[in-house]
Amino acid sequence: MEGILWALILGFGFGWALQKGGLTQYATISNVFRFKDLTVLKFMMTGLCVGMVGVYGLNWLGVLEMTKVNETYLAGNLIGGIIFGVGMAVAGF
Amino acid sequence: MNWLIEQLKKPRWSPYSAGVLLGLVYVLGLLFADQLLGASGSFENLAGLIAGAFSSKVAESMYFKYIMPAAITWQVILMIGVFLGAMVAAASSGQLKWKSIPDHWKENHGSSVWKRWVLAFLGGIILEYGAGIAGGCTSGLAIAGSLQLAPAGFLFIAGLFASGILTSLIMFRGRWR
Repeated sequence: MEGILWALILGFGFGWALQKGGLTQYATISNVFRFKDLTVLKFMMTGLCVGMVGVYGLNWLGVLEMTKVNETYLAGNLIGGIIFGVGMAVAGF
Repeated sequence: MNWLIEQLKKPRWSPYSAGVLLGLVYVLGLLFADQLLGASGSFENLAGLIAGAFSSKVAESMYFKYIMPAAITWQVILMIGVFLGAMVAAASSGQLKWKSIPDHWKENHGSSVWKRWVLAFLGGIILEYGAGIAGGCTSGLAIAGSLQLAPAGFLFIAGLFASGILTSLIMFRGRWR
């Protein structure tokens, strides 16, 4: 039950950020690939910076153990990313 | 207090403000739920669950047995939260309305609704397939991975933008810029 509650709360915040940032619009996703509107990049990079500082800061304080780092698999990550990019550009989400 | 309510009701936030919220949500996810926030996995969870009900071959496959559990996982609940969060955010500024086709699509690819829906569906399939190979999508790998400085995240972002830009060139042709 605790897990479900956190999933809903975090999901709500996540959804809110996506909507307010305009990431739910086809135009926003489409335009980043045409360099007309870099909202997606700004949003992602800001999220990354805040997340990095937060995660590494807490890790340094000993509060958070980083046990869930994504596995790096060169061929899979690159090829998967390439395939993903096609789908994202076509569908706009 | 009034300032806060005013901010919450704004139809569109600066991508930097929204990005800060995003980053905080990711940190909280790891801190309190010990989870990476991902999106593509939830659809595969449900797909495996539904398909598994019809075919024992699917239910027994290595992928759904060991990599992508065919069940209502934490990620699925998260996705429900995302849906609700985005909906409430849209409603907070009067933007919640049904549109069968995005305006931007109509302006660039014609007003055919079935064409948009078919391509959106196909795009979704391609996108999910790519996420399955890479081990995540823009949420679970690009952002979650990169903020932990996992090379996987950065490789994925590079591949995503390279092919996304090329695909966009093809789709928009003369109107690319």
